[in-house]
Amino acid sequence: MKKSRRRFLQELALKPFQSGQEQEQAQGGANARANANAHTLVVVFLRGGADTLNMLVPYGDDDYYRFRPSLAIQPQAKAGKNGFLPLDSFFGLHPRLAPLLPIYKEGRLGFLPAVGSDNLSGSHFDAQDQMEHGVAWRSTASGGWLGRYLSLSGGHSLGPLAAVSLSPSLPESFRGAPAASALSGVEEISIKAEGAPHLTGVLQKLYKACPEPELREAGLNTLALLARISELRKAELAGPGESALFPATSFGRGLFQIARLVKAGVGLNVACLDLDGWDTHFVQGSAEGLQAGIIAELGQGLSAFDKCLGPLMKGVTVVVLTEFGRRVYENSSLGTDHGRGFTLMAMGGGIRGGQVHGQWPGLKEDLDELRLANLAPTGLAVKVDYRAPLLEILQGVMGAGAYGERIFPGFKPGGGTGLVQV
Amino acid sequence: MTVSRRDVLLTAAFAGLSLSGCSLLRNAVAENLGERVPGKLCRNWGKDIDPDFHLLSRAGFGGYPGDLERLKKIGRKAWLEEQLNPDSIDDKACDWRSRRFESLEIDPGTAYEFKREALRSDMVRHSLLKAVYSRRQLLEVMVEFWTDHFNISLEKGDCIYLKPTDDSKVVRAHALGKFSDLLLASARSPAMLVYLDGKDNKRRNLMEKPNENYARELLELHTMGVNGGYTQLDVLNVARALSGFRLHERHGRGQAYFDKSCHDDGEKLVLGKRIAPGGGEKDLKDVLDIVLAHPSTARYIAYKLTRHFVSDEPPPRLCALVAQTFTDTGGDIKAMLRTIFDAEQFYDPSLRGAKFKRPFRFVVSSLRSLAADTDASKELCQFLSRMGQAPFQYPTPDGYPVEREPWLGSLLWRWNFALTLCLGGVEGVNVKNSMERLEAALADGKVDAALIFPYFTGRKPRPEELSAFQEYSQEAHRRELFGLILASPAFQMY
Repeated sequence: MKKSRRRFLQELALKPFQSGQEQEQAQGGANARANANAHTLVVVFLRGGADTLNMLVPYGDDDYYRFRPSLAIQPQAKAGKNGFLPLDSFFGLHPRLAPLLPIYKEGRLGFLPAVGSDNLSGSHFDAQDQMEHGVAWRSTASGGWLGRYLSLSGGHSLGPLAAVSLSPSLPESFRGAPAASALSGVEEISIKAEGAPHLTGVLQKLYKACPEPELREAGLNTLALLARISELRKAELAGPGESALFPATSFGRGLFQIARLVKAGVGLNVACLDLDGWDTHFVQGSAEGLQAGIIAELGQGLSAFDKCLGPLMKGVTVVVLTEFGRRVYENSSLGTDHGRGFTLMAMGGGIRGGQVHGQWPGLKEDLDELRLANLAPTGLAVKVDYRAPLLEILQGVMGAGAYGERIFPGFKPGGGTGLVQV
Repeated sequence: MTVSRRDVLLTAAFAGLSLSGCSLLRNAVAENLGERVPGKLCRNWGKDIDPDFHLLSRAGFGGYPGDLERLKKIGRKAWLEEQLNPDSIDDKACDWRSRRFESLEIDPGTAYEFKREALRSDMVRHSLLKAVYSRRQLLEVMVEFWTDHFNISLEKGDCIYLKPTDDSKVVRAHALGKFSDLLLASARSPAMLVYLDGKDNKRRNLMEKPNENYARELLELHTMGVNGGYTQLDVLNVARALSGFRLHERHGRGQAYFDKSCHDDGEKLVLGKRIAPGGGEKDLKDVLDIVLAHPSTARYIAYKLTRHFVSDEPPPRLCALVAQTFTDTGGDIKAMLRTIFDAEQFYDPSLRGAKFKRPFRFVVSSLRSLAADTDASKELCQFLSRMGQAPFQYPTPDGYPVEREPWLGSLLWRWNFALTLCLGGVEGVNVKNSMERLEAALADGKVDAALIFPYFTGRKPRPEELSAFQEYSQEAHRRELFGLILASPAFQMY
């Protein structure tokens, strides 16, 4: 039987436990780091259609200010600390994304504007579903893109914590994954039985004596995993000081849990996490207000994640998606309605950061909206199929093979987006 | 005061009934509601898995307390004949549990008015309750088998609105009938027409290319097997012959009809057999007849059934025997099952307990052996999702894997399920009363792994197993002991 690279790493990482037997001997930190070789992809989904125009601010485009008289983020010269943070001569960051600025400057955070799908429905549900399934609009393929990636890349050799969603249930993108888990935190990776301390000892004896080799191996691997997690808690690799870096929200706690799993070296391959609340039809605010609150949560969360993992971030890539962007123009209730394209963010290992990739399509499209009486929403144009950067990350960073067509059925990538290091 | 679910169900069962016959019904209901733990259970075990226990594990999802004793009393042959004729088995108690899902009994058009989430949850709960409480266990096992064989994911398109009808009118209706009827029903099933794009398979003129999706899976997965000997030209011609089926979108929404204008009515050659031009809708029947008559179909179906019931590596001679039964009986499913269960190889000691339970079977067999009282709560269903086998949610047409490898990553959740279940922590599932009854019936109330373990695994524990349980064979840990037995390697196998 051919051994996959991940399988090999997993076995390597678990060896000290299997030979030594005594779980107490687990060497926490050192082992954990050695096992963090397998690359981890973290997919953050901004549910509700995020107005990325106010996150990566195209301050060099006059139309931005023309269409958003009250919502636009102004220059610092005009707005002081509420002004955007210039990245170059055209784009600036929302002021509440300040924690990400150093990461951008260090070249580990990059942006790709005008990403989106061909979905013209303007429906959150339809657009999210399509994107999580990794297909073209109204395609009839089933299963999630991460599910297909996981089964094609690792299949049954994936460990029990290869695919984790920090949510009550599995996201659509994981559908069809060989073994994806929805959990609320590392604490869940435990045997729950109060007053029964030696349960794992009994299981160890039972599985060690199991005559079926595959079942024996799987049982012992799982026990080693449990040992590693409990070791992690004892050693507090990501201690209270570090948890305090993260926002005290479910998003912040989720990111902290992912960081702990990465540190624990449990073979985490893909993690999914949602940040809700982006459907800002009504009084959206600009540098402050409704949307600024979750923008701050996103910025603080990602920056804490980066700090917490430190050098381990080389083996972690974070991609931030949303189902669609919003209209360029503000509506009569000082919000924005559903649009089309959005700006994708990516951070960490393998990402060509410190720049805004692609070409800015301009914001003229919205000018024509009323005149053309379009049936579908307008907004920032979609110039890059959302599957292009995802496939580049999977193939360029995650080591996915030449089965891209099977991860994203029917998708033919064009030229590179530049987002991923080659 | 708390009223248990059991009491509510019992009350519901008698409301509006006259007194006569009431006690009979009460017994019927109570028996399947967790009270069917006889005072005395089998204590005579050997080192190999008991052959009757083996039959209950393979022809069903494992025994409910008392099932083994009853099988031993009436004999394997009589038990099997009962199971092969499910209508002869009174299943009222299960029906009380499982007939509460309004959304599953309405026509597909009305189903569109339900939320997807509600439909998904109803479907999962219904199939779980049926598997746990139905006495027609072989039928339920075959329902699971055909559900995988003709897999339809609820997540594709409108399948979620159409699968409930597919479940009752296709899978359940023909699970123990003729394979040809099952195949025809599936080919016309609106859910399948959506899932494999049959409804979009149109050929209105010679320039239009038919959609081959269903045609290919029909040959590859549903009948002949991937190496069955068909060519790409056969796939194309089957697709042409099956073109023209559509689904109503407004009036009669979700119902299939044949649209002649979308059908390619020319001559076709399928597997060397000619289908004359002008056949219209009848082309479907012609195609299925040709495919059903091909020896690959008999071989493939026989192989899959034998693998399912006998061994992951089924004995070739038995496969050939079952294939012969297929040919002789025109694909009679009952006849094929008789061939399998009558075979000596079925009871081969080295094959007993050699198959790995998939998560659904693991959960169902746990609940059955413990006579759990449950309405298939959300938390219970979440365990299935965590273990990776939520019913009707496998995306690709090949169905949930039958190999053991994909499922080996689910052990942690299995252990936690087993322990949480026995410690009373799975919301909406009660096993406390029945565990006490089991303990009394198996070990005179003692916490003794040597006496309790065999009930769950069909054999005596080996010395190393017994010594592992020793620490928990004591009063303070009686519930943990049950949990550990369910978490043990032996209970993962069947």
